[in-house]
Amino acid sequence: MTLSCVPFRPVVIAVGLMGALAAGFAAEQTVEGRVAITRNRTAPVVNQRYEVVAKGGVLRTDPPLAVVYLEGVFAASRPPAVMQMTQKDLTFIPTLLPVQVGTKVEFPNLDDAYHNIFSYSTPKRFDLGRYRSDEKPVPAQVFDAPGLVTLRCDIHEHMRALILVLNTPHFMVTDAQGQFRLTGLPTGRYVLKAWIDSKTTHEKSIELNSGATLRVDFP
Amino acid sequence: MNAAVQSKASRVTGFRSKLLVAIMVIVSTITALGLYFADRNLTATVASDLQRQFQGELAALHHAQEIRYAALVERCRALVRKPRIHAALEDGALELLYPSAEDELRDILQRPGDTPAERAASALHAEFYRFLDRTGALIPAGKTRAAGALPPDEEARLSLTGAPGKQQIGYLRHKAAPLAGAVSEIIAMPIISTETGEVIAALVLGFKPFELGGGAATLGMKSGVWVDGQLDVAGLSPAASTALAAEIAHDRSGPADAERRQRAVIEGAHHEVFYKRLNPESVFPPAYEVCLYPLAGLREQQRELRWQVVGAGVLFLLGGLVASHFVAGRLSDPVEKLAVDSEENRAQRERAEAALELSHGELQRSARFSADASHQLKTPVTVLRAGLEELLARENLSPEECHQLSALIHQTFRLSSLIEDLLLLSRMDAGRMKLEIAPVDLSQLLEAALDDLDVLPDELDLRIETAFPRALHIAGEKRYTAIILQNLLENARKYNQRGGLIRITARAEGADVLLSVGNTGRPIPPAARAHIFERFHRGAIGENVPGYGLGLNLARQLASLHGGDLRLARSEENWTEFEVRFRLATAPAVAAPVSA
Repeated sequence: MTLSCVPFRPVVIAVGLMGALAAGFAAEQTVEGRVAITRNRTAPVVNQRYEVVAKGGVLRTDPPLAVVYLEGVFAASRPPAVMQMTQKDLTFIPTLLPVQVGTKVEFPNLDDAYHNIFSYSTPKRFDLGRYRSDEKPVPAQVFDAPGLVTLRCDIHEHMRALILVLNTPHFMVTDAQGQFRLTGLPTGRYVLKAWIDSKTTHEKSIELNSGATLRVDFP
Repeated sequence: MNAAVQSKASRVTGFRSKLLVAIMVIVSTITALGLYFADRNLTATVASDLQRQFQGELAALHHAQEIRYAALVERCRALVRKPRIHAALEDGALELLYPSAEDELRDILQRPGDTPAERAASALHAEFYRFLDRTGALIPAGKTRAAGALPPDEEARLSLTGAPGKQQIGYLRHKAAPLAGAVSEIIAMPIISTETGEVIAALVLGFKPFELGGGAATLGMKSGVWVDGQLDVAGLSPAASTALAAEIAHDRSGPADAERRQRAVIEGAHHEVFYKRLNPESVFPPAYEVCLYPLAGLREQQRELRWQVVGAGVLFLLGGLVASHFVAGRLSDPVEKLAVDSEENRAQRERAEAALELSHGELQRSARFSADASHQLKTPVTVLRAGLEELLARENLSPEECHQLSALIHQTFRLSSLIEDLLLLSRMDAGRMKLEIAPVDLSQLLEAALDDLDVLPDELDLRIETAFPRALHIAGEKRYTAIILQNLLENARKYNQRGGLIRITARAEGADVLLSVGNTGRPIPPAARAHIFERFHRGAIGENVPGYGLGLNLARQLASLHGGDLRLARSEENWTEFEVRFRLATAPAVAAPVSA
């Protein structure tokens, strides 16, 4: 399970949409695998609405989702793209949003009601105040410290979302089965991490060789 | 006799006073018992009244506390729904907890600008608040002024060993400013996540304790809260408070929520002390509500009441005295009357006895006189008759003179006969008459009497019918039986009519012999019938008939002496009949003498 850990070897990790935008040199390296996500319920999930739940001080989504990301030292890259966390039908979409440090996230209100997005989380504290869908410019925050940020709406107590601020450009959210595939990764030695909930992050040291496709399963 | 009546009267008076004393004793005993039981009852009632009052005050207190809890429970539910509170607790932003809660708890808290009067008016306003985390540890308030200032050591005493699952009540004695000396009631409310139902924190609020109600003030009641071995009762010296606190600390064993009661001497005065745990089953240290009821005022009241009871008792006693006086009077009146009556009765009886004795003596004397007189009279009559008979024997008397002398001699016979009768009567009156009872042949006596009747000159031309058996014997003395017969026959002859009839019948009837003598002639008028047996009575029809009215009387008395009687059988339509009843005797048997 513990792979050789060589921090400074380039490893290529592809991340969904952003994979193609990775470093200019060979971006063929890929990590794929499956994160074992414990399901609370054995019943098949019918709707795809995800919620953030806190139990015993542990935050996670329900149904569970995991974020797989590659940690290490990467060459400086372009500033990350602007992300969006929308409010629609009195829920946040998406429920779990991983972003790279320095990402600006916009919070468009697509509901007719007011929302008041705020966060008390240490990595980013902010309070957007009350606004409606016609608010211009769209309220946004730049997340410049890594960590887990819990988003809440002061008006709608049930609304909750998580923004996982990561110090890496290579990350992705697994599908409902925990499957992931990171492409366009640089070669080298890295640590591959799988965030399952606020208290649980699995990690594996990996070495990405040129053109390799690595299969990593998290228990 | 007068002295006896007086002694009787004094005895009656004695009876009355004894009765009075007895009634007084009974009334006094009842009064004393009434006083005793009233006093005992009073003491018990006062004690139970106090206890009930204490219980009532506590119940009111608990009721107020429950209202406060209900409000707080609601508040905590609202709090936990607030996203900011949740965020502060769950997102690791505890430093934002107090500022976030400040808004939510604003209306529960005292405003810093409140005047003391406003603070006093609203016991529902909290003095301070703190949060405990899920482990029961205190979350420091930081610089949030609205949370209320508390010294660190007092703040530390709010923490618990774990977040409570339900509300907890505690009491905190402040040692330092700004609440030094005061006691705060602490309510710890769990903050339960609406999502998962977990206890995620606790809210601790400090209130000024509710004070026991005003009803107690009238009795001078003092109350305070015992906590941490210390007691603070308003108006009680620190030394006395400390002593009482130590006593309660020593005494508070036993079930946690039991109500206790004891008597204590506090500052030299007797008090009834009630105390009860205010926070049974709380994880906070035990605290007791302590109530002091001074018994001095109570005793004063009790004394007053006792005096009232005594006064009532005295009135009752007086009333009882008056009533008993009357009752004794009424009861003794008949007794007194009875006594006086019996005294009068005795005097009357004595008088009557004396009179009887006197009259008896007089009677004796008069009877003796009558007997003496008769004797003295008989002699001259006999002498007179002898002289007259001597004169009649002379030969030179004219027929005229002879006739007169014969009439005079006849008068002497009548006179001696009268004297005999009087003598006999006086002997009977004196009670000295006694018959020698023997069988008497009545038939023979009748025949002899009829023979005598035949000898008498018969101017009326009477017929005599007889019907009696031979040898009919009666019990009697012959000479007196003969007098009865003579008198009856003479009567029948004297009151007869010319050519009339005398009928004599005798027959045995059981143990008696009935002799009846009837004659024709005018009947005795009914009005006179009652008097015919009286001495010297002579009927109207006998006005021209010789006699002195002694015959029937004598005959009747003699008949009585014979053990029989004489009665008028009938007197009607020219027929009068007398009937004598004698006792039958069998000849020649000897009957016992009968005394009169």
